[in-house]
Amino acid sequence: MAVNPADADADELPSVLWGLDPVFSAYSRLYITDILQMKESRQVPGVYFYKTHPLFQVDVLGTVVYKREREDFYCYGVDDSTGVINCLCWKNEKWNDQGESTECRDPSGSSRGFNIEDELKRLKEAERKSTVLEIGDLLRVRGTLKTSRDAREIRATSFYKVNDPLMAVQISRMLEMPQLYRKCYDQLFQMPRDDLGGTEAGGSSHFHCLLSRSVLALKEFLLEKEVARFRPYDVEFLLHPLIQSSSAEQRTFLICCCFFLADAEKGCHVLHILSSLRQRYSQNLSREVLEVALTFLECNSDIISTTEAHYTVL
Amino acid sequence: MLPPPAVFHFLWEINTDLVKDGASVRTNGRSVYSLKLLISYKPEGSKAVLSGQQSSAQCHVYVQTTLVEPFQPILGAQYFVLGEIEKTDGLTGVILHARALSNVDGVDLTLMQKAIREQRCFFKKRIPEINEQYSASLHTV
Repeated sequence: MAVNPADADADELPSVLWGLDPVFSAYSRLYITDILQMKESRQVPGVYFYKTHPLFQVDVLGTVVYKREREDFYCYGVDDSTGVINCLCWKNEKWNDQGESTECRDPSGSSRGFNIEDELKRLKEAERKSTVLEIGDLLRVRGTLKTSRDAREIRATSFYKVNDPLMAVQISRMLEMPQLYRKCYDQLFQMPRDDLGGTEAGGSSHFHCLLSRSVLALKEFLLEKEVARFRPYDVEFLLHPLIQSSSAEQRTFLICCCFFLADAEKGCHVLHILSSLRQRYSQNLSREVLEVALTFLECNSDIISTTEAHYTVL
Repeated sequence: MLPPPAVFHFLWEINTDLVKDGASVRTNGRSVYSLKLLISYKPEGSKAVLSGQQSSAQCHVYVQTTLVEPFQPILGAQYFVLGEIEKTDGLTGVILHARALSNVDGVDLTLMQKAIREQRCFFKKRIPEINEQYSASLHTV
């Protein structure tokens, strides 16, 4: 297949900015032919580029045309009429637990306990059935894209058989895909308009430079100290030289970044952020102002709210 | 190892030159009648016939259902079939060897045809290098 030489030399988006593209965090609905032809990133293997968008997670819907079963997994070949791709679907151990006898019920023998066990069994059975497919069935897979032995495949994080007797699901998917492409995937990735650094000389490039340097400083510190978790207080000193040269808004943003890194799994509670910011900068900082700032960051996909009051970054 | 992708075709396109011999296609049509031909020592397998309508013209496509047996035909019902085309010189013309056959009675035909047309239109507009494989299967040899 002829490759446009201009594409091969085109610069990739720097990896530090990948989190700014919402497509990167989503399970992209691409045609399988595109999934198979995407280029792998030169910066980080395992991440692929569809035009200007970095991505590594996909969502496909198609007919099963190939099936291979092993002890631990199913390998389904999925055909969406544009291409065929292998999907590795791991079996769940809990489905194998069919040996539960009716004797092991609640010793008190209450009828309530019996019903729950029964329902649970039926639920497990239904779950298991939705994962065993035959050729001709419709399969929906969401998973990460991997290249193994020169072939692209999807390692499913979730998959299930779709009951589509009227073909309604397939039809609506066919109608939806061109729209998604036009509105999202085929649009060039635009750097979000940098309101935070607009008035500074150099504007957005200055801000990104700061971001890169702060990330680098944190990484070096982590490597040196060999810590996996740290308090924001411990690392703020690293950011001070960078912070002095930036505006107040940028400082707030950088501090936020710092907090979020500290509680990557669950996220950082908004009150924690508020109290730390008050300590460092101004007692007058109100929760409402902070929440406006956090909502702004969330809209730009810089941060994600894990619960109503917790925030984290990817 | 994996079979080639089965491109959507309308039933009336199957008999024409639009589809290459050996191509994988998927299409749908109404089951008209089902023939079971068993010749001694050489069971030919079962054949079904699907019919579709474009404007006022009716067209038929023969479907070989050996791979999807046991097949309980419901005459007059809508079916969706995925399989390989075989062009024969005989009376039957084109035979579709079904790999997957399912009853889709109640499907919104108009909407489905609209969806297929929209997908084709989208692929035609794309940069040729990207959909080289796809468009090659749509055009005549």
